[in-house]
Amino acid sequence: MYNIVDLTGRQILITGASSGMGRETAILCSKLGAKVVLVARNEVRLQEAMSNLEGDGHAYYSFDLSKVDEIEDFIKMVVSERGAMDGFVHSAGVGSTRPLKLLKPAALREVMEINYFSFVEIIRCLMKKNAYNEGMSIVGISSISSKQGNQTKTAYCASKSAMDASVRCLAKELADKKVRVNAVNPALIKTEIYQQFLNNSGESEDAKNIMQRQYLGIGEPIDVANMIVYLLSDAAKFITGSCVDIDGGRLSS
Amino acid sequence: MTTAEKMELLAETLEVETDEISEDTALTDLDNWDSMTKLSLIVMFDDEFGKKITSEDIKKMVTVKDILDLME
Repeated sequence: MYNIVDLTGRQILITGASSGMGRETAILCSKLGAKVVLVARNEVRLQEAMSNLEGDGHAYYSFDLSKVDEIEDFIKMVVSERGAMDGFVHSAGVGSTRPLKLLKPAALREVMEINYFSFVEIIRCLMKKNAYNEGMSIVGISSISSKQGNQTKTAYCASKSAMDASVRCLAKELADKKVRVNAVNPALIKTEIYQQFLNNSGESEDAKNIMQRQYLGIGEPIDVANMIVYLLSDAAKFITGSCVDIDGGRLSS
Repeated sequence: MTTAEKMELLAETLEVETDEISEDTALTDLDNWDSMTKLSLIVMFDDEFGKKITSEDIKKMVTVKDILDLME
């Protein structure tokens, strides 16, 4: 059967791969024939995610992406052990809900380091000789929060806007190297960040308004993974520098 | 943290002067006991005490003492 998103033999690096959208993307990539390299902090959860992968040739690495200065050595080690990458998905991310008065530089820095600095640093390290194959596709998991502001979400929204801006710049910069760079921008999806949102503001008027506007309901991680594998595949060879909304209708209402 | 220090931290979080609140103060009597202040409380507990409290925990709080009791 003809499969437009066939990933057979492709090696895909996925951060934040032990839970939520990253985990779902890893599983789907493996079903489509890819070899996946999972990166996350929690080794137990990484092993659990590994056990759900299909096929063989997969690997996992426990690493804390907030240690941005150590990413270069880490990627060097991963590439020397696993070989060049054909895809990179940045799913690692932390939510942040903080009123301005509690948004001190350390809190702002923590969100930016994990959600944004590590994204650019990994791409920088992957663009070295022998670390990537021509045709590599990079997908950042951004958020519709990059386009919509909300009180207490300054750090999170800024980190996602920064990712979107970088996607547009890097897509152009890396086009000559035959590397595509895109982002997906989900709205509310059933993940831990969604659970945090429910715990902190689930019953607020604001939360009710959001749910009215997202008229297809809460998304599932697979809804995002489906778009990511499409962008990773050659079927999306004419798509670069794009930030694709996956929002259950939210931005249209 | 002493009780006085807790009161000072709490006053800052609730955006009131320390002499405006006591252990018996009803939270609903505070002018700015709104969703933003409740959220500030959640973040303060996480930052200062490493405690994850939820909006459900806050619903059960009636007086300033109820908050102080959790500040440890």
